[in-house]
Amino acid sequence: MSQVATPPEPVVSSEKTTGDPLVAVENLTKHFPITNGIVLQRQVAAVQAVEDVTFSIYPGETLGLVGESGCGKSTTARLVTRLLEPTSGSVWFDGRDITTLSRREMRPLRREMQMIFQDPYASLNPRQTVGQIIGTPFRIHKTEGETRKKVQALMERVGLNPEHYNRYPHEFSGGQRQRIGVGRALALRPKLIVCDEPVSALDVSIQAQILNLLQDLQSEFKLTYLFISHDLGVVRHISDRIAVMYLGHIVEVAQATELYDHPKHPYTSALLSAVPKGHSSGSLTERVVLQGDVPSPIDPPSGCPFHPRCPKAREVAGGEGVPDDCRSEMPPLGDVLENHVAACWYPVESGEAIEKAAHA
Amino acid sequence: MAQGEVLLEVKDLKVHFPTGDGLVKAVDGLSFKVHRGETFGIVGESGSGKSVTCLTALGLTNLERAEVSGEVLFHGNNLITLNKEQMRSVRGKELAMIFQDPFACLHPLYKVGDQIAEAILCHDSCSKKEAQGRVIELLGEVGIPKPKERYAGYPHEYSGGMRQRAMIAMALVHNPHLLIADEPTTALDVTVQAQILELIDRIKNEFNIGVILITHDLGVVADVAQTVMVMYAGRAVEMGSRDELFSRPLHPYAWGLLDSIPHIDQRRQKLVPIEGAPPSLINVPKGCAFHPRCPHQFEPCNKERPALEDRGGGHLDACHLSIEDKRRMWEDREARAAKAGV
Repeated sequence: MSQVATPPEPVVSSEKTTGDPLVAVENLTKHFPITNGIVLQRQVAAVQAVEDVTFSIYPGETLGLVGESGCGKSTTARLVTRLLEPTSGSVWFDGRDITTLSRREMRPLRREMQMIFQDPYASLNPRQTVGQIIGTPFRIHKTEGETRKKVQALMERVGLNPEHYNRYPHEFSGGQRQRIGVGRALALRPKLIVCDEPVSALDVSIQAQILNLLQDLQSEFKLTYLFISHDLGVVRHISDRIAVMYLGHIVEVAQATELYDHPKHPYTSALLSAVPKGHSSGSLTERVVLQGDVPSPIDPPSGCPFHPRCPKAREVAGGEGVPDDCRSEMPPLGDVLENHVAACWYPVESGEAIEKAAHA
Repeated sequence: MAQGEVLLEVKDLKVHFPTGDGLVKAVDGLSFKVHRGETFGIVGESGSGKSVTCLTALGLTNLERAEVSGEVLFHGNNLITLNKEQMRSVRGKELAMIFQDPFACLHPLYKVGDQIAEAILCHDSCSKKEAQGRVIELLGEVGIPKPKERYAGYPHEYSGGMRQRAMIAMALVHNPHLLIADEPTTALDVTVQAQILELIDRIKNEFNIGVILITHDLGVVADVAQTVMVMYAGRAVEMGSRDELFSRPLHPYAWGLLDSIPHIDQRRQKLVPIEGAPPSLINVPKGCAFHPRCPHQFEPCNKERPALEDRGGGHLDACHLSIEDKRRMWEDREARAAKAGV
């Protein structure tokens, strides 16, 4: 560990993204081995969950991470907080490469990065009271002052009644339980909070309450969020910049408005058009409906992982098959516009409507 | 929209479950009609009674545990009064259903094709060979590639979207008149959701059947339903055509829902959530069940329960506010939104 390394250059720069990034992820890869045999465990294959991912998160911003189930969003979140060890690549947090730190060296950094999980019930210990749950971070990190007072102040801040200090998680509704999770994440005043689908399990009216709370807390405590969701409406609402993932790769990163108005990657474009719009003008027939399912990350397609489903590739190739470069080589994440990167050989032009894919 | 014959008519349906803590009024006086060729959307948050309504219509609520009253008329028969044998001859034949989790609905140890064939053999006396042929035809119909080879596949070999397609194939085996889909796309990714919604829409038109689509996602309803009913605490609070309901909603709860959803085509500064949480069904607030969360509540709201009334053009709602006040409030809101919008 005597190597002298420096953080990578930021990939994207803009108003909120000036200065040094808080988190810089560089060529991060995670493969989960699949083994065979009982005594001698031979590795027969690997789930390529995250593949050569590079991105940065700047202080005070919210980076949204979207994609379908199984695309590696949650694995990325766990790698960033080092709950998983990467296969290769590095994660820089506040100027230090955390992938090389020991457990002991990691511990003081843990208070700087916290997580909020999807299922607010499964992520709370049913045998601990709210006071114990939110108070645990204070005890672990041996903070000064009276824990009870601090916990009650936190409860009040996240919209819980401080008198409920001695209640158990089952006595709360889903939205309130998520507030407990937020309170616990906030306890040690972290710099980064990784939110893994924090509102997916909640009803819409409650979802809006939690989103507003997260936004208020961000401006009050100068928090930085990595916000993971499969709900494109939610991600647009809360994010400054958005990264789109497909099968372990980041395929596009841009400012929120920019990404929704001018998607460059055909996958982003199809994803956006698949969302029910919630008003009568968006009828079913105008959509790009992708054919087939997401391929298996054990045996991903060669070249661009999206090429077997890509309507644009088929168009470029003249209706049948796909162009050779799509099939043979993974396109690099390159600039397509200012502050807008996409990994595609044939990015979607502004105003171009992707043809509805023919039935396979 | 030309309306076909009435397929299903629910009249003053009540489903109450006595529990140790008190009486859970899951559905409390619900009436609606579903026509042939129509997709009838039921929206509401969890615990609003959407699923219980449909399970009761299908005869799947345990009558020993539930107090059911009212009528569910299907082809002139009151489904609630049918005995188990009679119900079995209707369910799965003229009345079919799809559920949320397609994996939980398929037996993991049987071939998918055989499971669908079993559904055919339940009601038809045909040979196993004939049933197999019909299954393969249906699998192709619902968009499963290589249906012949897929017949022998097991559920774990199917992806989530394909499992849901298989469930739809199973629902279609007897050319049902009415298809009840309970959150059919909730467990699926958006791109697959779009495929399944398109499939349900195509089947509805092709076979000219009625569809009841239960969902918590207003976007889904706005895309595929012709008529929409909004439920809250076991009752309908608003009902009307899709266009009416989304362009000029009447009930403050519907306004609240629309305000609390982040949109993908426009970013708003701040969401306006509905304060508080949905009420417990054991202790539903007196008067209008929504009044403790309603920003517009006034004198009679906490005393009298408003009736579901036609406010013109087949657009019904249950609220004490006058129609003029509602229209004015909605227009004000629209004007404000237009001003704030970019």
